[in-house]
Amino acid sequence: MGREGTIAPVSWKNILLIKMDKFKEKIVIISGGSRGIGRAICLAFAKEKANIVFTYNKSADEALKLAKELTGLGVEVLSLQADVRDYNQCRQVIENTLKKFNRIDILINNAGIVRDKSLMMMLQEDWKDVIETNLGGVFNMTRAAITTLLKQKNGCIINMSSVSGVAGIARQTNYSASKAGIIGFSRSLAKEVAAYNIRVNVVCPGFINTDMVNSLTDNIKKGILEAIPTKRLGEPEEVANVCLFLASEQANYITGETIKIDGGLTL
Amino acid sequence: MPKKNIEELKKEIKKLVSEIAEVSEEDLKEDAMFTEDLGIDSMMALEIIASLEKKYKLIIPEEKIPTIRSLKNVYDLLEEVYLKE
Repeated sequence: MGREGTIAPVSWKNILLIKMDKFKEKIVIISGGSRGIGRAICLAFAKEKANIVFTYNKSADEALKLAKELTGLGVEVLSLQADVRDYNQCRQVIENTLKKFNRIDILINNAGIVRDKSLMMMLQEDWKDVIETNLGGVFNMTRAAITTLLKQKNGCIINMSSVSGVAGIARQTNYSASKAGIIGFSRSLAKEVAAYNIRVNVVCPGFINTDMVNSLTDNIKKGILEAIPTKRLGEPEEVANVCLFLASEQANYITGETIKIDGGLTL
Repeated sequence: MPKKNIEELKKEIKKLVSEIAEVSEEDLKEDAMFTEDLGIDSMMALEIIASLEKKYKLIIPEEKIPTIRSLKNVYDLLEEVYLKE
């Protein structure tokens, strides 16, 4: 057989090389990126060679540490302080991103807070803070970015909801309402922008091994573990992996979808 | 290149909007509302904005986009960002 007819042997090394760098030169914005799930998402995309823009609100030390870690992975990084409750600050994030990178490929709205209380004990501020950060933040970031994505006729948006927004969890009326709102927002937007090659999907983590869950009392944590069929908390990296998939070309036909990552909690 | 005067500009803009919105130039009255009277949706509005930006090599500020609700608004906006630039 002539040389033209032979197929080069594929080594494991080559297969690994094909798998890596999936997001090379892509620009990813992650709100609330300095800690927990957001941090894992930043690292996961940076390992795939995406350039990272992440926002943080109060965790300046963690943000600095993460920025160094990301830069060490050989990607460009923009770390921006922003309160997602403020539309002008979100616009500033988008403007700074465009100034540096000239485009946006993936927007991950991850910033979120909890103020868990029974409704009877819940103050109006607890309600307002959670709704304005979790749901208002998604509107502010997405509204600020959408014109750019529409003009590009290309983009991917992933919004972080929660199993609380699907199933409801006692003492989380504010959080649950905000997270359910994100699902409605995403489904409507998915229909609105699909023709512009922009996909919008939702990720619903269950109980994940982060500061947010670790701040719960041991009794509550024990109860949670008993309720999860897989009998363990999820890891932030497991949520990040789903984001990688949704943002990849392999998910090109998926939009308006909500994916739960909860170890079977809501079955 | 010398800048176009407002009348020239209006003529070009009207032609461009009429093509995107598929509304004849005669029917495209200056004060007709894009959505209510002409059925121009936000996606068409985006096409109009993108075409204007490309044609006149300018950037329409993000905060001005929601103010574009009629042909007159487009004229005013272009007058502001193109002629006064």
